[in-house]
Amino acid sequence: MLNPYIPHPVIIEDIVTENDNRDLKTFKLVFDRKEDEFSYEPGQFAEVSIFGKGESPFGIASSPTEKGYLLFTVKRTGSVTEELHNSEKGRKIGVRGPLGNSFPWQRMEGKNIVIVSGGFAFTTLRSAITYILDNREKFGKITAVYGARDPGELLYKELLKEWQEHSSIDLTLAVDQKPESNWSGKVGLVPNVLKEVGPAAENALALVCGPPIMIRYTTPVLLELGFKKEDIILSLENRMKCGIGKCGRCNIGSKYVCLDGPVFTCAELENLPAEY
Amino acid sequence: MECGIIKKPDLEKLITYATEQKKVFYGPVAGEKGVEFKAVTSYEEIALDYDNVKLPPKSIFFPQREVLCRFSGDTLKEVNIEAEDSIIFGIRPCDAAALVYLDKVFKDVKSRFQDPYYLMRREKALIIALACDTPRATCFCTSVGGSPAGKTGSDILATDLGETLIFESCSEKGKVFMDKSGLFKRPADRDIKVKEEKARQVEQSMAEIPTPNIAGLTEKIDKDFEDPFWDAITRNCLGCGACTYLCPTCHCFDITDEENGKKEGIRLRTWDSCQYPLFTLHASGHNPRVNKKQRLRQRIMHKFSYTVANTNDIYCVGCGRCITYCPVNLDIRDMLNTLNKL
Repeated sequence: MLNPYIPHPVIIEDIVTENDNRDLKTFKLVFDRKEDEFSYEPGQFAEVSIFGKGESPFGIASSPTEKGYLLFTVKRTGSVTEELHNSEKGRKIGVRGPLGNSFPWQRMEGKNIVIVSGGFAFTTLRSAITYILDNREKFGKITAVYGARDPGELLYKELLKEWQEHSSIDLTLAVDQKPESNWSGKVGLVPNVLKEVGPAAENALALVCGPPIMIRYTTPVLLELGFKKEDIILSLENRMKCGIGKCGRCNIGSKYVCLDGPVFTCAELENLPAEY
Repeated sequence: MECGIIKKPDLEKLITYATEQKKVFYGPVAGEKGVEFKAVTSYEEIALDYDNVKLPPKSIFFPQREVLCRFSGDTLKEVNIEAEDSIIFGIRPCDAAALVYLDKVFKDVKSRFQDPYYLMRREKALIIALACDTPRATCFCTSVGGSPAGKTGSDILATDLGETLIFESCSEKGKVFMDKSGLFKRPADRDIKVKEEKARQVEQSMAEIPTPNIAGLTEKIDKDFEDPFWDAITRNCLGCGACTYLCPTCHCFDITDEENGKKEGIRLRTWDSCQYPLFTLHASGHNPRVNKKQRLRQRIMHKFSYTVANTNDIYCVGCGRCITYCPVNLDIRDMLNTLNKL
């Protein structure tokens, strides 16, 4: 019997410090054993494991089209993440996954895609955008709004620059307050910037990832733009341990974020208690 | 063999037979902390005169503390999860029924994730339940689909007839065991009649115990989610979590690493409880169930609404432990009755 609690050994191949605050790092992980490599879809997550400290769930930031490695962007917050941040290249750690559902890729084919994100929740959307650009012909117009507190807190700065120059994606960057440095993007909170960009709801699906407060104010903007509740796709987080629907802590009503989620539509969440 | 009878002292032969077959024989044993399930090697160790054990026998399959794997530095060392063959004798029908619910959690046929630790032990165990003689004042199995002589979850059901025990197979596994052992004698028709009469009497005696009215509850409990009832009921709750630890269907757990300071250690699974604030606390400080009301409501909703939505099961077998051992006398029967009347 396959043991779903046992992590696959992976090696930290590269570490990138993402922000000025230096509490967000991206870890590039390669499987120690070729046979452990797993296939996944953007939107899924995995448990990253450091023996002696424990495990924590993170959205997979790489795209399945980026072969041979996994990316995770991790904020330094607790003991597992602290230990990860203190780790050097070459260290052996563990990964369990892929876990959870993914963005609804079958439904998304042939649709215009609107991507809305704030802060460091952008990780699985990095995966989604990369995947879309690598399968560009399958999707319609791609509009993305991504905001952070200030320019130094935006993730994947090189990639964002590349995407801004890319003709097949319309990316708007935003910061909460006007920075001292040169800033060519928008100034304002994500929901307000989204309203300004005003993507059309026709034949479109919206993917939203961000802190709970951002989600709360973004959903009404999307509804106002004409998006239906079943076309607003949210990715949620709750505290997890097992990641496989047994330990009982990540439930929102009858649904487990680890098993039935982390991706839910706004319509699905409407029928569940607001315990997330 | 559908039905077999043995004299009580001949349980010794059953235990010897189990030992010869390399099966660990668990039975109810009286000790300082009351009756507990322990591995026994002789009939003398067994206590048959008990109502129910305090700690549900789920711990035989889902121990309170269990090593998932070991590690040395950054290297994993898997543990051997081979389980021994076992016979669990004397668990009450409510606790046997609860195992069916735990099976659905740990062997989730709808997902690709099965729990090998639990399933190894479970699949190698033969469950011989013992029908109840004297229901406790807090028992309400008959309100949630059970019975003092219920067969759900058992391979064999035993009934105490005084001098003898009568055994009835409830599964193919139980039938095969009874046939192969050759220890059971065919009962007289009179014995079967006595057994049936006893089951009827015990069940009837439960009519005198206060029971909750579950009829129609699952259809309306979701609408009670925001009712002030939850605020009122929470005032007394200490949030100690005894109800969840002692519940035979509760299965929540934590996973933590323990290290000895020399980079050697274990990854542990331990029982956890939805009644604790840390259970759902995010790393960011956000907590979706930040107050006691939300946590008490989670416990009731999980058993009477969420599991019904998922597998059409009420995750309560009416064992009454959460009533008996609640330090402030919260009574789930009252809660359910009130909720059903709202």
